[in-house]
Amino acid sequence: MSEFANIPWNLILPILVLQLILMAVALTDLIRRKQTNGPFIMWIFIILLGNLIGSIIYFIFGRRHE
Amino acid sequence: MKGLSVLLQKEWRENARNFKLYWIPIVFVIFGIIEPVTNHFLPEIMKSVGNLPEGSEFTWPQFRGEDIFVSLMGQYQLIGILIIVLAFMGSISGERKSGTATLLYVRPMSFGSYFLSKWIVVNGIILGSVWLGFFAAWYYINILFNPVAAGDVFAFLATYSLWIIFAVTVVLSFSAWMPTGGTAGLSILVLIVLQVIDSVIGAFWTVSPWKVATYASMMFSSITNQSGFWMSIGLTFVLIVVLILFGINMAKRNAAKTTV
Repeated sequence: MSEFANIPWNLILPILVLQLILMAVALTDLIRRKQTNGPFIMWIFIILLGNLIGSIIYFIFGRRHE
Repeated sequence: MKGLSVLLQKEWRENARNFKLYWIPIVFVIFGIIEPVTNHFLPEIMKSVGNLPEGSEFTWPQFRGEDIFVSLMGQYQLIGILIIVLAFMGSISGERKSGTATLLYVRPMSFGSYFLSKWIVVNGIILGSVWLGFFAAWYYINILFNPVAAGDVFAFLATYSLWIIFAVTVVLSFSAWMPTGGTAGLSILVLIVLQVIDSVIGAFWTVSPWKVATYASMMFSSITNQSGFWMSIGLTFVLIVVLILFGINMAKRNAAKTTV
């Protein structure tokens, strides 16, 4: 537990908050979209588990409208 | 410049609705924060996950705040440029393919204002993101490293901005010229592959647009190569103007290829 307290949270917190915002934006976009490039459920997992890279990949490749 | 303000509003609204206005700044700021933080904690990170043998001594280089700016620029040179290319490769070619362009081309608008509206809005988004990213990094560098002189930072940012504008212009004018796939390939060739080539064998010349970023990082050191610097700036500026004219021309010539 002491290791957990040793993490400088005041430095790390802004990164976590920004990642959460990015994830929220990606999920909002995914839910509002009728058609995605690939299955809907796959993108949910990519966004939720892929951290920063997952959201970026969704924004770049997930939204090809045909 | 007929209808420029209307087209600017259209571009702005489009980028707000497809969230590019929000996710691109967030991504650049995240990279801007991660760079100083990981560099500051590098010795501790390596101690806990680096799998160094017991008792091994390793002296870490003492980074100054200026070095972090340069290493963040290195990140943007690869990841940032990739984001610019992939996010905006379809700006014009995608509109032709989806048929949005048909709705625009039947209206009395000039292709100059059509291209410029995109150029202004995309540059606004990308430059805003890059500056926000460097400002976030600056804040952390002041806390974790040493304070960096504001004059150096702004000289660095101003020079680097010219390279970013060049990158955006390349992507947009290629998008006016070719389909989306070709735009992506050729932009990556011009912006990333040529940049690598320039850094490998570029010692033989001092003037090239790919050297602008290197010159920007020299703003932090006292080494100044004045003639090469101003010639590169001038050449990049001329290339930007030529590419804009080329893009307008190609947008006009390819107007017939739009899906009806």
